[in-house]
Amino acid sequence: MVVRALSNGKEGTDRREAFIPITCMHCEHETPCVSVCPQQAVEFDKSTGIVMQMPQRCLGCRYCMTACPYHARYFNWWDPQWPPGMEKSLNPGVSVRMRGVVEKCNLCHSRYHDALQKAAAAGKKEIDVADYVPACVEACPTGAIQFGDLADPKDPATIAAKSPDAFRLLEAIGTEPKIHYKTTQAWIRALADRQSDRPTEAPHV
Amino acid sequence: MSETALVDRRWIERGAERASTMRFLLWLFPWVCLLLLGVYAAGLCFYYGLNQTNMDNRFAFGLWIFLDLTVIALGAGAFFTGFLVYILKQQDLKPVLNSAVVIGLTCYSGAVAVLMVDVGQPLRAWFTFWYPNTHSMLTEVTFCISCYLLVLVLEYIPVLVKNRQLRRVPSFLVFEHQAHKLVPVLAGVGAFLSFFHQGSLGGLYGVLRGRPFAYRQGFMIWPSTFFLFILSAIAVGPSFLMLVVATAEKITGQKLVDFRVYRKLGFISGVMLAIYVAAKAIDTYVWLNVTSPSMGFGPWDYYSYWPLSSTFLFTATVPLGLLPAILFIVPRTARHRGLLLLAAALTCCGVALNRFVMTVQTLALPTLPFDPFLKYTPSWQEVATFGAVVAYGVIVYSLSYRYLPMFEATKGE
Amino acid sequence: MFPWIDGFHWTPTHIIFLSLFGAALSAILATAAWGLWRTLGDFRKHLAAATCWRENFGELPAVEKRCRHELAGRLPSRQCDHAFDCRTCPNYDKFAALPANVPASRAGVSYSDNLLYHRGHTWVRGDWDGTFAIGLDEFAKHLVGSPESVKLPEVCDEVESEGIAWTMIKNGHKIRVRSPLAGTVISTGGPDSDFYLKILPHSQPNLRHLLKGPEVAGWLAAEVDRLQMQMSKGKATLADGGTMMPDLMDAEPGSDWDAILESTFIDR
Repeated sequence: MVVRALSNGKEGTDRREAFIPITCMHCEHETPCVSVCPQQAVEFDKSTGIVMQMPQRCLGCRYCMTACPYHARYFNWWDPQWPPGMEKSLNPGVSVRMRGVVEKCNLCHSRYHDALQKAAAAGKKEIDVADYVPACVEACPTGAIQFGDLADPKDPATIAAKSPDAFRLLEAIGTEPKIHYKTTQAWIRALADRQSDRPTEAPHV
Repeated sequence: MSETALVDRRWIERGAERASTMRFLLWLFPWVCLLLLGVYAAGLCFYYGLNQTNMDNRFAFGLWIFLDLTVIALGAGAFFTGFLVYILKQQDLKPVLNSAVVIGLTCYSGAVAVLMVDVGQPLRAWFTFWYPNTHSMLTEVTFCISCYLLVLVLEYIPVLVKNRQLRRVPSFLVFEHQAHKLVPVLAGVGAFLSFFHQGSLGGLYGVLRGRPFAYRQGFMIWPSTFFLFILSAIAVGPSFLMLVVATAEKITGQKLVDFRVYRKLGFISGVMLAIYVAAKAIDTYVWLNVTSPSMGFGPWDYYSYWPLSSTFLFTATVPLGLLPAILFIVPRTARHRGLLLLAAALTCCGVALNRFVMTVQTLALPTLPFDPFLKYTPSWQEVATFGAVVAYGVIVYSLSYRYLPMFEATKGE
Repeated sequence: MFPWIDGFHWTPTHIIFLSLFGAALSAILATAAWGLWRTLGDFRKHLAAATCWRENFGELPAVEKRCRHELAGRLPSRQCDHAFDCRTCPNYDKFAALPANVPASRAGVSYSDNLLYHRGHTWVRGDWDGTFAIGLDEFAKHLVGSPESVKLPEVCDEVESEGIAWTMIKNGHKIRVRSPLAGTVISTGGPDSDFYLKILPHSQPNLRHLLKGPEVAGWLAAEVDRLQMQMSKGKATLADGGTMMPDLMDAEPGSDWDAILESTFIDR
C-alpha cells in the first residue's frame, strides 16, 4: 500500500490536502495483471474476489507491473535485509520473498486463512467476517479504512461503498476495482475523476 | 607471413581477399573490450540484483526492453529474406541471405541474453513453458522466440560448415548437403513463428487495458499493434540488412553485392513502410477519437508533456516513415546509393522510435490522475549490457564474414 | 502444468496454442533429425565420399571444371557438369567418338600411355591379379618433391572413390590425395616405392572417368598453364611452354601453395 498526498493546488487558506491510500484494487472484470502473467502466477479467486499473487512462480518479468493502471505492484529490487536479530520479531504468518519477484497486496491472506481455520474448527463452512480484518484496516487509527463483504448488501462497508459520495479510481477503463473511496469534498472527487486540467504534484513512488 | 598468419589464412576461403591477421585483431579489439564491459555489467546485475539499474516500480520496463524490441524488429530481415528467397522464389536476394541469417541469429540471441539479465529470476525462465498462460502475449513471445532461435541456429549451421577447414570433416559436409534441401521447410516454419512473435511483441502493449496510451482495439484477440508491429518489422528488416551489408562493404573495401540487390531490398522495404504508415495513420485516428476517450483519456493526456508533444508522433510517421518510403519507391531517388542508405537509416530510426514510444513513453505517462509524468535515465550497467549485444553482433558478423562464404561474390575467382 | 497442480488452469486455448507449437517444434526437430538420418545413411551406403566430392566440385571456379573432351581437343569449350564422373555422364559416348586433337609433346611433364590418370593427379594401373596399383603422377611429384611424411591407410582398410586415399605433409601443408577407385587396401607403398597403394575393388570397376592417351597430354598442358598462372601471381610472368621443374614447393616457397595444392588435388 502506498499513501499518496493530494492537494487542490491552491495556496494559503484555500489550500486543501488529503491522503489517498492506493493498494491493489483486486479488479473484478478482465483483471489486467491476471491475463498478462506468462506463468499463471496471478490468480483471480472467484469465491473471495481476491487477486492472488504466487511469488514462488513469479519470474520477475514485471509485465504485470506495466499492466496495472493503479501501480499497485512492487518489484523486489533488493534482497530484504534486516538488522541482526530483527528477523526474530517478524510476523511468521507473512513470508518475505527474495529479490527478483513481484509482490502486491493480497488482502492479508494469512489472516483469511486463520479465519478459515477458526471457522473449520468451529464446524462452520463460512468465515465470520469479524475474524478477518486486514492489517491496514486494523492499524488505521482514525478508522478511515473499512473492510467488508461486497456481496453482502447489509455489510456496513458495502453500504458505504454504494453511497453517492463513493467513487472508484479509473472507472472508465472498466476494470471494476473493489476498492471504493468516499468523500464529500468536491475537489477530491474532481481530481479523481480526471476533470482537472493538470495533474497535481505527488511524491514519487 | 608469420606462423599465426599462415594458420589464420588456412581458415579463410581460397582466393578471398581479407585483411591481415593483425588488422583484423585490431578491428576486433575495441568490440571485445565493449563485450567484456557489458558482461561485467550483466554480472553485477546477476550478483547484486536489478537495483543496479535505474528502473523502479513505476518504470518497470526500461532501456533493455525498448532495445530488445528494436533489435528483434531489426533482425526480422532474417525470416523475411528467407521467406522471399525460399517461398516466393526471389532468387536475386540469395547473395544477402547468409548475412540476414547471421544478423537474425545475433539479434535474437543477444535479445534473449539481455532478457535473462532483465528478469528478476532467470533460473525460473522455464516456468513459462511449464505453466503457460495462453492469454498472455508474453507467453506467446517466449515460445515463438525460443523456437525461432532454434530455427536460426539450424539455418546458420550450413553456413558455418562451409568454412574451409570445417568442410574437410566429411560428416559436416554431408550433413550440410542433406540439410540444404530442407532449408525451405525451416524458412516456412521460421516465417510462421516470426509472424506471430513480431506481432505478439506489439500485442504486449496493445492489450494493456490499464494503459490507455498503449491500448488498442483490434481483430479478435489481437490488438491493432499486433499487425502494426509485424508490418514495421517486415519494413525495417530489409533496411537493416541493407545497412549492415553496406557497412561491411565500406569497412572491407570490397563490393559484396550488386546494387540491384540494394534496390530490391529498398523497394520491398518502401512498399511495406508505405502500407505501415497508412495503417498506423488509420489506427492512430481510431485510437485518439474512439478507443482512448472511451477509457476517459484524451490526447491532452498524452501530448502535453515536454518533450513528448505531438511532434513525436509526427516525427515517427512522416520523416521517419513516409519520407523513407518515398525515397525507396520513387525510381529517381532509389537509383542513388546514398539516398537509399539514408532511407534505410531513417526507417531503422523510425522503428526504434516506435518501440520507444510503446515501451518507455507508455510507462512515463501517468494513469492515475494525481500522478506526475515520469522521467527515466538508464544506468551505466544497462547501457553497457546493451553495448555488449552490439559488440557481440559486430564480432559474430566480422568472424562470419572473414571465415565463412557469406557472399558468393567473394568466393573463388 | 499437470491437471492436478493447484493454481494452474487448463483451457481450450491451451490445447490450440500448445498444438500449434508442438507442430512447429516437431517440424524443426524433424528437419534436423531427417538431415542427421540421411547423413548416417550416406555413410552406411558408402556414399559420404561421393557427396563430399560433389559439394567440393560444385564450388570450383569454372576454369578448373573443364571437360576432358575440351582438353582433348574434341570440343571447343565445355564445362563439366558431372563432377568429373564420366561413368554416369550421358554425353560421354557422344563426345568420346569425336577425334582428339592434342599433340603429345604439349604436356610439359612426362606421362605414360600405359597408365590411366585421375584428375586429382593419381595414376591407376591394373595388375594381372585383379588388383589396381595407384600412384602419384609426375606433375604431382614435381610439385611436391619429397614429402616430409606420408600417412597411408592400413591394409584391409576401405577407400571410397573420390574419397581421401592418403595424406602427405610438405612444408607445413597437409595434402589430401583423392582415390580414383573404391576398394580394399591390399598393400601399401610410398614415395620410394613403385606405387602408393594397391587396392582390390569389390567388383569389376568402371574406369571410364580416368583419362588415357592423348587426353592426358591436353589435360596436363592445361594443368601446367594453370600452375604457371597461380605461381606467377604478383610476380613477373613466366614464359609459356617448357617443362616443369622438380621440387617446386622447395624451389618457390613464396607462392600461394594453399591455392595451388587445392586446385591440383581438387581438395577445398
